Amino acid sequence: MIMKKNLFIIIIAALVLGSCSKDFLETKPTNAVPDDEVFNTVDNVETVINGTWAYMFEEFFTYAVPGYKSIHLTSDAMGSDVAVTTVYGLRDSYAFTEMTDNTKNRVNAFWTILYKVIDNCNNIIARIDNATGDDTKKQRIKGQAYALRANCYLTLASYYQFNRTGTEKAVPIYLEPTSSTSVGKPKSTITQVYQQVIADLQKALPLLKDYERNPAQKWKIDLNVVNGLLARAYLYNHQWTQAISSAVAARNGYPLMSGDDYNKGFNDLNNVEWIWAHGQTPNQSNASYNFHFLDVSTPAAYYQSFMADPYFKNFFDSADARFRLFDWDTLPDQEGYLRYKKFRFRDASALVGDLVLMRSAEMYLIEAEAYTRNGNNAKGAEALNALRTARNAVPYKGGGSLLDSILIERRKELWGEGFALSDIIRTGGTVVRKPFLSYTGEDSIINVIRADGSTLEVAAQGHLTLKQPDGQPFTAYSPYYLFAIPISEVQNNPNLNN
Amino acid sequence: MLQRLLLVLLLFGPIAVFAQTRTVTGRIVSAKDNTPLPGASVLVKGSNTGTVSDPDGNFKLQVNDPAATILVIRFIGMEQQEVPISNSPLNVALRSSGKDLGEVEIVVAYGVAKKSSYTGSVSQIKGDELVNRQVSSVSKALQGLAAGVQSTATSGQPGSDATIRIRGVGSINASADPLYVLDGVPYGGSLNAINPSDIESISVLKDAASSALYGSRGANGVIIITTKKGRKLGTTIDARVSQGFSKRAVKDYEKVSTDQYFEMYWEAIRNAGLTNGLSAATAATQASTNLVRRLGINPYGTAFPQPVGTDGKLVAGAKTLWNDDWNDAMQRTGHRTQADLSISGATEKSRYYISGGYLNDQGIYLGSGFKRYNVRSNVEIDAKKWLKIGLNLGGAHSDQQAPPSEDSRSDNYVNYGRLMSGFYPIYQRDRATGAYLLDAKGDKMFDYGSYRPSAANTNSNLVGTSAIDKHNLSRDDISARIYGEATLWKGLKFKTSYNADYTARNQHEYTNPVYGFDAEVGGTVEKISTRTFSWTFNNILTYEQTFNEKHHLNLLAGQETYKFTNTFTDGQRSGFSLLGLDELSDASLIKDLQGYTDTYNLYSYLGRAEYDYLGKYFLSASVRSDRSSRFAPDHAWGTFWSIGGSWKATEEDFLKGSSWLNLLTLRASYGAQGNDNLGDDSYYNYYPLLNVNSNLGEGGTYRRFLYNKLLKWETNLNLNIGVDYSMFNNRFGGTIEFFQRKSKDLLYSKPLPPSLGYSAIDQNVGALKNTGVEVTLHGVPVKTRNFSWVVDLNMTHYKNKITELPQKEIISGTKKLMVGRSIYDFWIREWAGVDEKTGLPLWYINNADGTKGITNNYSAASQYYNSSSLPDLYGGLTNTFNYKEFSLSFLIAYSLGGKVLDQDYLFLLGTGTAAGRPFATEMQNHWTPENTKTDVPKLTTIQTNWTQTSSRFLYDASYARLKTVNLSYNLPKSLMERAHLNNVQIYLQGENLFTLYKHKGLDPEQSVGGTTYYRYPAIKSLSAGINLSF
Repeated sequence: MIMKKNLFIIIIAALVLGSCSKDFLETKPTNAVPDDEVFNTVDNVETVINGTWAYMFEEFFTYAVPGYKSIHLTSDAMGSDVAVTTVYGLRDSYAFTEMTDNTKNRVNAFWTILYKVIDNCNNIIARIDNATGDDTKKQRIKGQAYALRANCYLTLASYYQFNRTGTEKAVPIYLEPTSSTSVGKPKSTITQVYQQVIADLQKALPLLKDYERNPAQKWKIDLNVVNGLLARAYLYNHQWTQAISSAVAARNGYPLMSGDDYNKGFNDLNNVEWIWAHGQTPNQSNASYNFHFLDVSTPAAYYQSFMADPYFKNFFDSADARFRLFDWDTLPDQEGYLRYKKFRFRDASALVGDLVLMRSAEMYLIEAEAYTRNGNNAKGAEALNALRTARNAVPYKGGGSLLDSILIERRKELWGEGFALSDIIRTGGTVVRKPFLSYTGEDSIINVIRADGSTLEVAAQGHLTLKQPDGQPFTAYSPYYLFAIPISEVQNNPNLNN
Repeated sequence: MLQRLLLVLLLFGPIAVFAQTRTVTGRIVSAKDNTPLPGASVLVKGSNTGTVSDPDGNFKLQVNDPAATILVIRFIGMEQQEVPISNSPLNVALRSSGKDLGEVEIVVAYGVAKKSSYTGSVSQIKGDELVNRQVSSVSKALQGLAAGVQSTATSGQPGSDATIRIRGVGSINASADPLYVLDGVPYGGSLNAINPSDIESISVLKDAASSALYGSRGANGVIIITTKKGRKLGTTIDARVSQGFSKRAVKDYEKVSTDQYFEMYWEAIRNAGLTNGLSAATAATQASTNLVRRLGINPYGTAFPQPVGTDGKLVAGAKTLWNDDWNDAMQRTGHRTQADLSISGATEKSRYYISGGYLNDQGIYLGSGFKRYNVRSNVEIDAKKWLKIGLNLGGAHSDQQAPPSEDSRSDNYVNYGRLMSGFYPIYQRDRATGAYLLDAKGDKMFDYGSYRPSAANTNSNLVGTSAIDKHNLSRDDISARIYGEATLWKGLKFKTSYNADYTARNQHEYTNPVYGFDAEVGGTVEKISTRTFSWTFNNILTYEQTFNEKHHLNLLAGQETYKFTNTFTDGQRSGFSLLGLDELSDASLIKDLQGYTDTYNLYSYLGRAEYDYLGKYFLSASVRSDRSSRFAPDHAWGTFWSIGGSWKATEEDFLKGSSWLNLLTLRASYGAQGNDNLGDDSYYNYYPLLNVNSNLGEGGTYRRFLYNKLLKWETNLNLNIGVDYSMFNNRFGGTIEFFQRKSKDLLYSKPLPPSLGYSAIDQNVGALKNTGVEVTLHGVPVKTRNFSWVVDLNMTHYKNKITELPQKEIISGTKKLMVGRSIYDFWIREWAGVDEKTGLPLWYINNADGTKGITNNYSAASQYYNSSSLPDLYGGLTNTFNYKEFSLSFLIAYSLGGKVLDQDYLFLLGTGTAAGRPFATEMQNHWTPENTKTDVPKLTTIQTNWTQTSSRFLYDASYARLKTVNLSYNLPKSLMERAHLNNVQIYLQGENLFTLYKHKGLDPEQSVGGTTYYRYPAIKSLSAGINLSF
């Protein structure tokens, strides 16, 4: 064996080559950024608003839960006027076996979406003051963060607790960014949650007072949106006069749409009446997946779940612009279902459609309801009729309960937009589902004209779930109406019920 | 083509003229016990002429050189011997060169070791046991062969890998996969790129002493794959060809006939009507009129518009006009062709192994299959007396057709046929007569079923679109191992190596614009490109010396650097204008485009010392420090170590001469191994980051995860105590081992209340313990001149226990974690049977007063612990019979005990809520007012939740499977010599031919966690092959 001097050189060279430089050891991701780089300038903080919004709308939990908008669909599926078909998706919510079960994915998904958005807003609110950059922009972003947080708490207040006495324990409130050592908070009362919503929105008002958004970016929160959220919050919290003024302020600049526009598929944020909406493009279209459930007439829609209860049709008179949307289904596998073709994909080949979040009609209805509940029936009827006239419906001329008329008008006007269950919860209403049968108790037979021109007699399809899962009839303030708090929260938050 | 070439070689190759030669024959045995030594090299001194001894130790050598006088006989671990050439048969008895007698060498971390004195726990599988297996991924060949290794082939998709768990699961959230090492270095390529024919051996390192040198990533065990080297002087050419056929290993679930279905569905509609308050008569009439409309089709023809009468029975005369079996139509008999050619050999100063391989493994489901082309070149050169250099280079290209075959998605090829009822025709038919409708060319036309209800896959026909749509995955793998080893001084060696694994994966998903699921959007295309490149650079010094002929020392020290880069690009478009185009550029609408790059690296120092005294007492210790980029710099280093000792009792004087006990070794080891693998996309969990996205054209970021800068290595503490024994001339032997794996500082996603905005935070919390026993037995019950019977049995039993958790209980999926329980314990709702009065399903519920009650409201029902998915015992039994030139061996893999939650089956157990979806035959036993004692509820189209997860659907997961049978015949030696062939073997090989199991319909090989996922079932295959060696 020969000892080679050269070998030592080779070994040393190898060890040097193999040893680590700092560059080698530092790895960094390419699809994430360090948080101190984000919160250092106002421009960068704005990306958090954008990113949080995109998360909120575009994050899929399953195909049945395509983001935040799915909450609205669930709300309608659990109401009286949508006779959800038995296909994948909202079937179990419709049957009241899903949102009451704290182990279900949908229960966890809604809770997760709302609270993750809240934490991101908390980060913006807590950290933007230390960021450098334009002060006006800083104000605006902070205002939008307050309003977005308020919207989350308002959604929580709407579905997780009744507001009968105000002292009911509802959901926890977080106002600070979560850190690795944070612990879960106890439930606040429903009144405290509403107070937080209103406080946040009141903070947002002055911060956004000079902000004018690009009309094509209706997802960005401006003064009208904040007022609209305030109108909802005041109405749900029984503060009638404030609800009226906020509703009026919210619809300022957004006239009611024409009857023709109402028939255009509810998929275009350029609609004059839409105050707040989330746009969709072919390359940002996850949220459009909700149309697969809502859209019952575009062949490309997968599930076509949102059929109308045939009784719903009776609320309309035939001259009503909205009446034109009813159509007995002629698809061979869906004959007998009553389609209400309110929602249609804007582009059926790209499968996209914008998602509406707030429009003037709702503000008129808030105004009408708040006046009426405040004892001013004349002003209440005036606001209701402003909407009815725009829809070419017969105006309210007295007779019958005005309040009932307004609540029914909400069901008619806002069908599929997410108010069915929250209205039942906040007004102490009851889910109404009757079998659709002829007066003899047998099938109600209708004639359907098929694509080939032939006529077919089929049984009309109405509601399939007619009772609560416990076999009892639907009642006011039924616990089945409320969304469950997910088991992961119950298990991992020891303070929840403190 | 290759087959033809081989045939030519076989026929014409052997014709040669022999010079005047001498033939030397003889037998080589071990001097100690006179047992034959197979594979000993016999060389004419001063020449390259040589041979090796056969399995009986015999050799025969042609000596052409008349001047040759001496033969050199060598065998690993034995003293070399020179014997004069003579005409009479030579009997050569070799003596041990050191302290160990002709022992099995095993490949271990950074080197080789002698099995009987090794302090660690290692199972070695020889290439011979793999070579005839009809599997496309080596991971699938490990089942049943080694104690402690739990291999479950959850998918029968050709080219798919099995899940391997060694001595249980040591981690809850971090990876539980073992580390794969190829030719000494962690392997970063695709497992299925390795051709099993190229494998010399597989070592499974199970305890600390054996795997701590791979400490950083060895916590879940290490699997070392070593490829073949040239060994024998001269050149050997091996050619192997096999052809086979495959089918489903076990039958799918039984379903009811169309006639039964129509009557049952009628009942479901009728019962729903009754529940909704209709009178009995109305409900029955409604069911009769609605039945065909609900199902979308009338297979009894227009002559019977209401095939089921108001009495719920099929009307007289109604006969189905068609009954199509979709499950059959989605399947076929798969063909499998494999051909391998290798050239290996050695000269005095080099060793080489060069091979090429071809595999075409067609799947049993339409549109599935796996093709692979392999090359490998392993070359080692003694460049100087003191310098050895080598290059192992492997390349593979594979094309996998992998249609969706897991998940509940509607285009899952496995589920599709199962969930389609026979009354929906595959081809369009005349609704009055049942005759096929033909197109202008006179061909049958696929029926895409626009009329089908959604549960019966409206607007789709996978039998038709499987030929047009694409689910292709092509991979290119290159793996290189370059090394140089220099001897610096007596026993002092330095080895440096650079090793790289490169994988390019290209996935091409295409659905056509005309037919099926995506016709409405004009078809879709997605291309996913993943490039991974990893390299390891290491420098190792070793020193081996014996002092005073008593003290034997072996030292190792080194440094290693590892870097892994993963680059990902994914693009999706939709909207093709033409049929026949399937690339991204051909579609009009960009749906999605994303990409990112991740890097991960390790920097390590390692050292090991082994000492033995007189070959009786062995001690080993090792230590390794790693710095991982997955942790913050101040927590990045982890140090792992092991100590081990063994005592070879049979070397003691009092046992040395034992007539019956050949080997008795006691050994024990203890040590710590690490785990930093938080998951494939979790490289930066220690750092406060915001995810990047965008909203409607504006850049976005948001906080998705909570970071934890305190994250550090997870540690596995491993105790291993074992006994190896061998007796009666090594006819009976085995190993018994006890192990305890304790994991601490588990890399665990500690659940948080989601109201904090995050469902979990990664922390080092909690501890797990796996305790078990492994038994390996080897026996030769019969051994005569012509006949032998060899039995190998291995058994493993282990228990899993959670010993520490950050909180009292954590529910995770169908399991609940609690201290004292195992991570395999099901925590689900408990089935309480069917209500005899109402026919509704019932579950148990904890009443407020603490008693156990019953409810028919699934959501209100309580969850309970319901048995475990962990088997009580698993392993394999191999029997090998040799009679003259015939050999028959079979391996039975078994797993006894444990439960599986069959979610696949639930699709067939609906009560009628999903119109058109088949009923399993078990549904015939449904509740009726007459049949009240049953565990199947009444039929109804109203949701009862009965198919929700509950203990009702837990089934015994025990099975025994005839994993492989091999019958081979070696052509007689006399024939071989004339043909200049070393060996010709023809064989028949079967895989999964027979399965014993309880719950019919479900393939018993499911995930370790006992859950199912609608996966591609195991296949059985039968092949014939020929191996030539010349």
